Amino acid sequence: MTDRASRRLVFRLGEGAKHVERDVDQELAFHVEMRTRKLIAAGLDPDAARERAIEQFGDLRAVRAECVDIDYGKERAVRRTNYLSDLRQDVLYALRAMRQNAGFTAVVLLTLALGIGANTSTFTLIDALLLRTLPVPNPERLVTVGNPARTGGLSEGSPRNDIVSYPVFADVRDQTHTLSGMYASGRMDRLDVLVDKGQAEAEHPHGRFVSATFFSVLGVPAVAGRTFTPDEDRIPAGAPVAVISYGYWQSRFAGVRSAVGRTISVNGVPLTIVGVAPAAFAGDIVGQRMDLWVPIMEQPALMPNSPSLTDRSISWLLIMGRRAPGVSLAQARTEIRAIENRSILDHASAGERVSVQSGLRQSPAQVESGARGFSYYRHLFAAPLYILMAAVGVVLLIVCANLANLMLARAAARGREIGVRMALGAGRLRLVQQLLTESVLLALVGGALGALLAVWGSSALIALTGGVALDARMDGRVLAFTALLALATAIIFGLVPALRATRVELATVLRAQGRGVSSAERGTGKLGLGKVLVIAQVALSVLLLVGTGMLVRSMQRLQGSDIGVARNQLLLVSVDAERAGYKDARLASIMRDLTARATRIPGVESVTLSENGIFSGTESGTNMQVEGFTASTDADTSIAYDDVGPAYFHTIGAHLLQGRDFEARDNESGQKVAVLNETAAKFFFPHGGALGAHVTSDSATSEIVGIVSDVEEQSLRADPMRRVYFSTFQMRNMPGRFSLEVRSAGDPGSLTEIVRRSLASADPSLALRVQSLPDLIQESIAQDRLLARVVSVFGMLALALAALGLYGVMTYATTRRTSEFGLRMALGAEPGDVTRLVLGEAMLLVAGGVIIGMPAALAAVRLLRSQLYDVALLDAPSIVAALVVLGSSAALAGYLPARRAARVGPLVALRES
Amino acid sequence: MSDIDVGLMRGTLDLLILKALSWGPRHGYGVADWIEVATSATLLVGEGTLYPALHRLERQGWVEADWGLSENNRHAKFYRLSRTGRAQLHTGASTWHQFVEAASRALRTTTAPQQT
Repeated sequence: MTDRASRRLVFRLGEGAKHVERDVDQELAFHVEMRTRKLIAAGLDPDAARERAIEQFGDLRAVRAECVDIDYGKERAVRRTNYLSDLRQDVLYALRAMRQNAGFTAVVLLTLALGIGANTSTFTLIDALLLRTLPVPNPERLVTVGNPARTGGLSEGSPRNDIVSYPVFADVRDQTHTLSGMYASGRMDRLDVLVDKGQAEAEHPHGRFVSATFFSVLGVPAVAGRTFTPDEDRIPAGAPVAVISYGYWQSRFAGVRSAVGRTISVNGVPLTIVGVAPAAFAGDIVGQRMDLWVPIMEQPALMPNSPSLTDRSISWLLIMGRRAPGVSLAQARTEIRAIENRSILDHASAGERVSVQSGLRQSPAQVESGARGFSYYRHLFAAPLYILMAAVGVVLLIVCANLANLMLARAAARGREIGVRMALGAGRLRLVQQLLTESVLLALVGGALGALLAVWGSSALIALTGGVALDARMDGRVLAFTALLALATAIIFGLVPALRATRVELATVLRAQGRGVSSAERGTGKLGLGKVLVIAQVALSVLLLVGTGMLVRSMQRLQGSDIGVARNQLLLVSVDAERAGYKDARLASIMRDLTARATRIPGVESVTLSENGIFSGTESGTNMQVEGFTASTDADTSIAYDDVGPAYFHTIGAHLLQGRDFEARDNESGQKVAVLNETAAKFFFPHGGALGAHVTSDSATSEIVGIVSDVEEQSLRADPMRRVYFSTFQMRNMPGRFSLEVRSAGDPGSLTEIVRRSLASADPSLALRVQSLPDLIQESIAQDRLLARVVSVFGMLALALAALGLYGVMTYATTRRTSEFGLRMALGAEPGDVTRLVLGEAMLLVAGGVIIGMPAALAAVRLLRSQLYDVALLDAPSIVAALVVLGSSAALAGYLPARRAARVGPLVALRES
Repeated sequence: MSDIDVGLMRGTLDLLILKALSWGPRHGYGVADWIEVATSATLLVGEGTLYPALHRLERQGWVEADWGLSENNRHAKFYRLSRTGRAQLHTGASTWHQFVEAASRALRTTTAPQQT
């Protein structure tokens, strides 16, 4: 009785709350009925007996309510206890199972750690570069004015509003009511810093000019010393101070207190370090390392030849402000645009006015939320990072499919155990919960390992970006992401196998000898779930492999593309003669001297110079009138320009299409000449006749003496634009900062050192930087390289996982069919027949995956469009390569089990069954 | 009976239920029947009050309940004493005896207490 009853109790508890009331009703009814019987037996007639019984019972309704109440309370307590003890039991059970199958557990954890680690690494970068707000109080009230990506911007010429001149900034500062405080932030050229007395070589920390309100507007205090004072915003060259970053303090000054108060020499000007910024604050520019901030008033002292505080034609500042209480972003935007427009228009010359006005109308100043600060790299890396996120997401799906397969096999092996437990009355929900507990536990441990892996992974990714300085710490958002990912993973890879494993037909299981047969193995129809999962893995791998192929090919195209110059033979030397005080005739003579010195170096073929250089990151633009050409819009007159030295096109390897190159005779006393590039020539002279025509720019008229093919001067991807070249020696203001182009006979990298030494011997005070063009180009495609390399790694990982999955499923399937193969061989089949049979089935799965994966891949690569260079969206080589790699891996994964199947002798096979 | 007796009554009823079950499982009606007979129907005013007491004891874990078949083949809820219930019956009964003896001794006193 006791045994039977307690078992029943287990069942009843599962029935839900309804039974409580039913049971009480039944119990009380039984009592009344028994009492009635007794009264009838004592001689009462039935109706009277029943009435009497109820009367004797008392308040039936109240008793019922009280009993139900008590029972519900009991039920809840029991449920809670049961749940907790079930959970404890499940966890212990799962832990025991994990220990017992150490190999299985290790494989699962490793796969999970790789999958989750890859996702967390990528997300860490996305978080740091794209999502995180600046570590300052109330970042949501900050607004940026200007294009937040132009952190290194500098433009001379027409006034702009993506970056602004100091006078425009001053107007906004003095007139705004919507901002309670604001500061300007502008680039610094390379700094020559001497920290110690008698230090021979200058060092070049990264700095920025900022208004003295920089720290107060952001709300950042100093951890040592002080920040800037309002006085340091008043007198030009009157604030010889600097605040250094915590990182610079630690690395250069060993974090000693006495660093505050020290005087360092910056570009020959003594600046006193007055304070240190907090460790968490890396500046307002995300992705760039910052060592020191100098009040903008010091600009004239540090860069004496650039009138950047007074000249309205020099645009170089970004503005950050804090919205006043109660002011919306839209209100601030309206007001600031109005002030900027007025400030720019009021000072435009009569001739410019109309074009400036239409320019301002077409592209009004950007006023956006400044919560995430400025960033050059955010814009550059956003698309690659999201693509990467999608790729690692696919990898994780493959991981899930793989693990689901493993769990399925595990569950199948435990089929009999599960069947027995169900026969003993364990509920299916209970068993699913138990199996899921194991998955969740695995995923959580795997996720924790993945997070550890991501600490390394995210710094590796950052290293691959080539120069982005990011704080890749794992904040709450990253950890929450990882935890959610782990749980989602567990449910994806655990739920379906658990549901499958518990869908057991008891009779079948219990009848089977020794080994359980669940419906999971028999599958639905011919295609088992395991095979469906393999097909899914193959399909996802196709997706990744095709994408990988296209990115790698795009990368190769970029690295080998014809940019119109001898890209593998050029060395670029950027020279700053301005700071050393060269001007006019002295400047011309040092230019000629340097050119001559470089030419004498063995291994150098020819040398020339230009203002902007190639892949140097600086560009110039001007407005130009062309003889015989009528501009229909203002934009028609704008053109990119560079001023260059003799033999420029010959040296850089550009193709002269008509006329001649610049020559030594195009000097100060020669007739002014110009060369157009092909795009400009076609635009201004669609019917030819450019040679001999005249162009006027900056009140100087030059004769066109040549037409040259288009050259990609600054970016591999940019469309060629109209460009005009003038002779450097004929410029009214010769550039104090210029670039020497050195054409080498062989590898330009090998000449770097000798060129630097030879040029420095002309004047040691010249600031020189020597870089080879191949290096510069590599730098310019850092985000392409990041994407191509990382996606390749993940593509290979996906391939390996898919092959592993295929191997697993085929091995399992062939083992289960050992007796069938034995029978076939006993009936005369050759081992080769069996191999072919198994291999054929494996390839069928692969074919299924390819058929599903290929259209998906072709749709998905559209997302890559923005990242691809010179690769068609339907790129046959990438597709073929993906198929070959996939096919051969799959063949290998299928061949091993196939061979094993064929080796089993008929007798062995038959005996086994 | 007046309200002040509820605590005493309830404790007594609990003890009687445990006692009723000390000879083996019984359904609620069986318990009521026994108490009625054993106390000559002096204790149970409404038989129904027995049931909340039974369910409370079940929740406390002093009795356990299962469904079984009654002597006339009906579905009935059977209660039986748990181990702790049995222990409770022992200590409860002796406490009750001490209490009742002390109380009745006091109530039977005929001589007035001496003033101090």
